Amino acid sequence: MREKWTGELTVEQCCNRAAATRAYARYPLKLVLPSKVACSGIDAVWVYLVTYGGGIVSGDSISCKVSVGDHCTLVLTTQSSTKIYKAVQGKFSEQVFKALVAKDALLVMMPDPVTCFAAAKYKQVQHFFLSLDANLVLVDWFTSGRRERGEVWAFESFRSTNNVYLDGNPVFLDTMNLEQDVSLPISSRLQDFHSVAMLVIYGPRLSSIRKRIEERVGSQCEEAVRKKKHRSSTHGRLLCSFSSFGPSDAGLVVRVAAVETELIYDFLKQELAELSDLIGAPPYYGK
Amino acid sequence: MDLPAKKSQGSDWVVWQLVDSFFPTGGFAHSYGLEAAVQAGLVSDSKSLDTFIKSTLENSGSLLLPFVSASFKLPDVAGWIELDRLLNATLSNHVARRASSSQGSALLRTAATVYPDLAELGELRGVVRAGRASGHHAGVFGIVCGLLKLDALTCQRAYLYLTLRDVLSAATRLNLVGPLQAAAMQQSLRGFGEAVVRKCADRGVEDACQVSPLLDTAQACHDHLFSRLFCS
Repeated sequence: MREKWTGELTVEQCCNRAAATRAYARYPLKLVLPSKVACSGIDAVWVYLVTYGGGIVSGDSISCKVSVGDHCTLVLTTQSSTKIYKAVQGKFSEQVFKALVAKDALLVMMPDPVTCFAAAKYKQVQHFFLSLDANLVLVDWFTSGRRERGEVWAFESFRSTNNVYLDGNPVFLDTMNLEQDVSLPISSRLQDFHSVAMLVIYGPRLSSIRKRIEERVGSQCEEAVRKKKHRSSTHGRLLCSFSSFGPSDAGLVVRVAAVETELIYDFLKQELAELSDLIGAPPYYGK
Repeated sequence: MDLPAKKSQGSDWVVWQLVDSFFPTGGFAHSYGLEAAVQAGLVSDSKSLDTFIKSTLENSGSLLLPFVSASFKLPDVAGWIELDRLLNATLSNHVARRASSSQGSALLRTAATVYPDLAELGELRGVVRAGRASGHHAGVFGIVCGLLKLDALTCQRAYLYLTLRDVLSAATRLNLVGPLQAAAMQQSLRGFGEAVVRKCADRGVEDACQVSPLLDTAQACHDHLFSRLFCS
């Protein structure tokens, strides 16, 4: 019988260590589990989500279900940006992701950006079900396209849903939908910006990291709305802000837009650097 | 526009009052993120203002109209509380969330006073006061229109009209356009607004979405503005 999901991953405690007790994937998804990413002494499982050809073709649907058991840490990442090829006969490329994060567990999802080619249609739905004291770091981001080929905000549609549920209750329901529209083309909405990211942080183990991100993003935000002189120049421009969400404002969402993808890599590297202590290696190292 | 003639006769007065700036709902305290967008340098001329307003209308349509129409169709208190909770989780931008609950609560207070016969409104006020719901604007507007038995499309159109009215009012107060030009823009954006209403009419709340990441990012900066005229 064909499995419902193209990928399934379970991480549980085995002999007092986190281990992938199930790692199943079928075409076009591949799970790569390198054993030596995290430095010794830090108990974290790293998994690379890889697709054949580095992207998703029109009409393909990748669905992945992940379960992170009590006290375990799982890092999900990619090797490079996920390419979304042009839609053929109007068919979407699709990714569905569902994660269950148990008590005191930590899921870090920090992929490279999604790059939609001209005329691509992409739809992504990600649901995160957290237990009451589970922890989540989620990065979701995308670029304007293959700029070197002159493709700038030239895809047909991009839709990304990220929903976070705490003990079954929705605390964060976010869908970003960018569709070409004659009177409001995507490029007019995004101006000179070429990359957009969202970072979500939730959970008790991340409270000090969250606090410091808030401070740094807050001061960058203040600067961005004060520097009148620099407005004419778009060079090196990055706009970021944060909001709290959820019961007692326990969650944090940071939104970033930048004129270069590299600026967002630098931003994420800096803001998430402290995660090294929990996941055993610096996020986006070498990128 | 294409309201059934019979229905419109009595309800015109009701609708006009709901969208009248004289109706005290505090809409003019909010700029829908325009003030932050101006200070972040995203809106600086009439072209970027036009894009801003279109994006705001589109965003109201995609994100909030589903909640307006769901509350309109379901005028009961328990269902409304559930929708309000969903909307609260959907408004992940704290500036927009705060603006939504303060405008919604103001509308609820006014509507409950103006229509004392609609017992549900009094009940909802109690629920919001007790902290059991946030009283978000889209949900309050929808249920008020539903209880007043307005036409569904009129209700959605009126909601978008309020967005356009408030954002243009903010644009004038921020000195981006003069009042005459703003009135001309209000007229010329009518077609765009109507297209948004048609596109988003009766969309389910599970399809609610944001359409302008840049403006969303800028709006959340609002609290960091050095000086500000508006609450959001």
